[in-house]
Amino acid sequence: MSRYKKLIDEANKEHLRYTTRRHFLMDCVTGLGAFALGSFLTSCGSSSKPQALTGDPMAPKAPHFPGKAKSVIYLHMAGAPSQLELFDYKPALAQLHNQLCPPSLLEGKKFAFIRGVPKMLGPQAVFKQHGNSGAWISDHLPHFTSMADDVAFLKAVQTDQFNHGPAQLLMQTGSARLGRPSTGSWVTYGLGTENSNLPGFVVLTSGGKTPDAGKSVWGSGFLPSVYQGVQCRTKGDPVLFLTDPDGMDRDLRKASIDAINQINEEEYTAYGDPETLARISQYELAYKMQIAVPEVMNINNEPDYIHEMYGTQPGKESFANNCLLARKLVEKGVRFVQLYDWGWDSHGTDENLAIDYGFRNKCREIDRPITALLQDLKQRGLLDETLVVWGGEFGRTPMQENRDGKDMPFLGRDHHVEAFTMWMAGAGIKKGCSYGETDEIGYSAIKGKVAINDIHATILQQLGFDHEKLTYQFQGRPFRLTDTSGKVITPILS
Amino acid sequence: MILLQNNGSWISFSGRMHPVLVHLPIGILVAAILLILLSQRPRWQRFQTAVPLLLLLACLSAVTSCITGYFLSKDGGYAENLLDTHFYLGISVAVSSGLFWICWRLLRRKPWLLILSGISMLLLITITGHYGGSLTHGDNYLSAAMPAALSRFASQPAKAAAPDYKDISDARIYEDLIQPVLNTRCVSCHSQQKLKGGLQLESLALMRKGGENGPVLKDSLPEESEIYKRILLQEEDEHRMPPKGKPSLSPAETELLHWWIANGAPADKKVKDIPKNVRVQAVLAAMQPAKTLDQLETVPASEVAAASESAIAALTAKGLKVLPVGANSHYLSVSAFTAGAFGDKDIQLLLPLKAQLIWLDLSGTQISDQSLETLGQLQQLTRLTLRGTPVKGDKLQQLSHCKQLMYLNLSETAVTDAAVVSLKQNKKLQQLYVNKTKVSAASVQQLATAITGLKIDTGGYRLPVLASDTIAYHKQMN
Repeated sequence: MSRYKKLIDEANKEHLRYTTRRHFLMDCVTGLGAFALGSFLTSCGSSSKPQALTGDPMAPKAPHFPGKAKSVIYLHMAGAPSQLELFDYKPALAQLHNQLCPPSLLEGKKFAFIRGVPKMLGPQAVFKQHGNSGAWISDHLPHFTSMADDVAFLKAVQTDQFNHGPAQLLMQTGSARLGRPSTGSWVTYGLGTENSNLPGFVVLTSGGKTPDAGKSVWGSGFLPSVYQGVQCRTKGDPVLFLTDPDGMDRDLRKASIDAINQINEEEYTAYGDPETLARISQYELAYKMQIAVPEVMNINNEPDYIHEMYGTQPGKESFANNCLLARKLVEKGVRFVQLYDWGWDSHGTDENLAIDYGFRNKCREIDRPITALLQDLKQRGLLDETLVVWGGEFGRTPMQENRDGKDMPFLGRDHHVEAFTMWMAGAGIKKGCSYGETDEIGYSAIKGKVAINDIHATILQQLGFDHEKLTYQFQGRPFRLTDTSGKVITPILS
Repeated sequence: MILLQNNGSWISFSGRMHPVLVHLPIGILVAAILLILLSQRPRWQRFQTAVPLLLLLACLSAVTSCITGYFLSKDGGYAENLLDTHFYLGISVAVSSGLFWICWRLLRRKPWLLILSGISMLLLITITGHYGGSLTHGDNYLSAAMPAALSRFASQPAKAAAPDYKDISDARIYEDLIQPVLNTRCVSCHSQQKLKGGLQLESLALMRKGGENGPVLKDSLPEESEIYKRILLQEEDEHRMPPKGKPSLSPAETELLHWWIANGAPADKKVKDIPKNVRVQAVLAAMQPAKTLDQLETVPASEVAAASESAIAALTAKGLKVLPVGANSHYLSVSAFTAGAFGDKDIQLLLPLKAQLIWLDLSGTQISDQSLETLGQLQQLTRLTLRGTPVKGDKLQQLSHCKQLMYLNLSETAVTDAAVVSLKQNKKLQQLYVNKTKVSAASVQQLATAITGLKIDTGGYRLPVLASDTIAYHKQMN
């Protein structure tokens, strides 16, 4: 007996020795299979499947339905320009200039810097009506007034974030918290790009600083990182380390990238991680960009009249250069060009941030380039299929800022979330129209209110997407740019 | 789900029994009425003895239904006016069936009274039931499924025909806006059949003829035109139109009529042709037909079979990007951002896609005049971009075969005046771009007059130099 027992024991032990941790886990899988099956069966009703990424993630894709826009140029004035000195003309506010703000406007409200009872600040600009549409535009934008009949103003945009970072995130990603993909990422995720030699989503900054919210405003969030914005420098090499080192010729470069990609492809077949695909396409893109980017990012070859039109200064970092680049990029089939111009935070703390000085200089810096951009797109027949969006992350108060309850050295306005102006043009946007109204001092929106999600829904609509259906499965539920809200602003669509 | 949150109560639970319970009084009453009718024949007279019991049961079940119905209404979510009607009708069913039972002895002596009460009872419960059905299934549950012959009989308002204008500014004022108002409000009396007051309002000519009291329309003077004046009269006034008891014109319709007459009552002008005040603008804005957002003008409404995969692959191999214009369509868009070498020898590759290809962007390619003949065969094309190609345009008239062409971009090419003028045949062309070409203003003018609605962009925009371009604003240092 004991001999048999010994034998069986030994056999058992030997068997156990072969049963490794992996075998155990494998058994678990089959055992858990029944549970898994149950959960599959219960989820039969939901149609949301995790996205299977195959092939080139940037390959061009058709939108849900034919869209009017093929590209987007988004001009973000970081810091938030004052709508009251540009587009939202409020003569009644001039009457109240320097009077104390009525308590009804302050009760229950929170401001970023205003404390106590501030004074009202009348419009610091001269307004006139322009074009057949009779749009009110201030004399701060003398060139832009000629475009009055080409753009659609949104006069009652609202946000719920009064600090730059979260407000910029909300404006660009649809959420005030980190982690969501930016609009440009959603667009390239949905449409890919028709020019595989250039990134689908390019970011250009000016004004000396990047937006307060950092690079997450053009990040890809939970989307594969291949969809994040590629920031190009407008001074020096547009993309760093794009030139081959000495002694490395283009054939050798190609051979080494092919070898790396081959390994990566094997990696992908084995593990199926979409990030591997992103890696492959980034290598390929980088190789093609070595030729295409220096060419498209070089504005020196543009004719003189174009430079005069935009007011560009080659070799310098400027908003004008970026506007010209935006046109060049869109002309080459880039999907989404995002411009950030910093320096619009006119609190009145110093001359540069004063409504009556620095702000006017900022207006001068954008007036000519933006007008030139719109006209240039128009004459090339591109405005028809390029959606141009202009705006800040919020607006500015009709009250004069009184930081810490003290008078400021310069005229300034605080952050304002309840109503501000944005405009859109091109690609099926109604020409020369104005939607939304604010009260007689421009404090709150009274008609045609527009939420940030509505702007996103409209951008996607013009590109051919049902914003409720452009989704990505993440953490167990489908996410979308407009998340749970958003309504297309149909009154501004032609 | 076991963990389903329980929001129920006995009240709302019993309320939900209402849809079941209501059928009891209906069935019982129908049975009672049937027995009453049958018992009129001597052979079946004995059935009459069962009727009082049925009536009592009907009354009791009707009361139960009323109570549960009341509970159900507390759940909310029902159309108020329908609910009220159904509520009172339901109570009246309960009350009248009770009265019927109480008065049974009295009624049974007179057979005609019995039959009359039975039939009124049947009518009452039918109407009550109909309203109840409307509450649960919606107002148009029956009418939606009604055959055309029946719905004409039931005088259902005909479904409004979709307006044949896309934008309200393109609507013909009289045809599209005024005559429909006359048709709904006036023509029922002022027609050839009825000819009230000797006036017919079926057409503008007839309106101008006037009635037995003379003309009704004075051009540009709405306040002196009978047709407008009478609408504004007090409802009690015997001259008011439409007369008391007939639905009157809505404020918007009145406003439109006033606007039309004030502008000379034109026969064929469009909305955009005559000035509008703020009130009319508001009325017109409300009449703007809802946009079908997903439908583009440059995409044909008819469907098409999918293009051959191998033809697409051949183009893709040349660096062109071939894509459906939308995931819901087989029509194709082709672009050439990465196909700078694409030229005349490759152009034939597009032909297999001619049924599907509607948007073609060949900017920056080597396409020259030789290719225009082939491009002319792409008859579905609505958008064509040849910007920055070696095209000179000698054969540009080949594009006249592209009858659907709406957008044509020839900027930065060597196209000539003669070439551009040869586009005259492309009647659908709406946008033409000739920036940085040798095309003269005269030929642009010539083409623009030949094709209505064509916008030609000759480009060459310049921005003026303004003093404000260079001013830097600084605080004066004292």
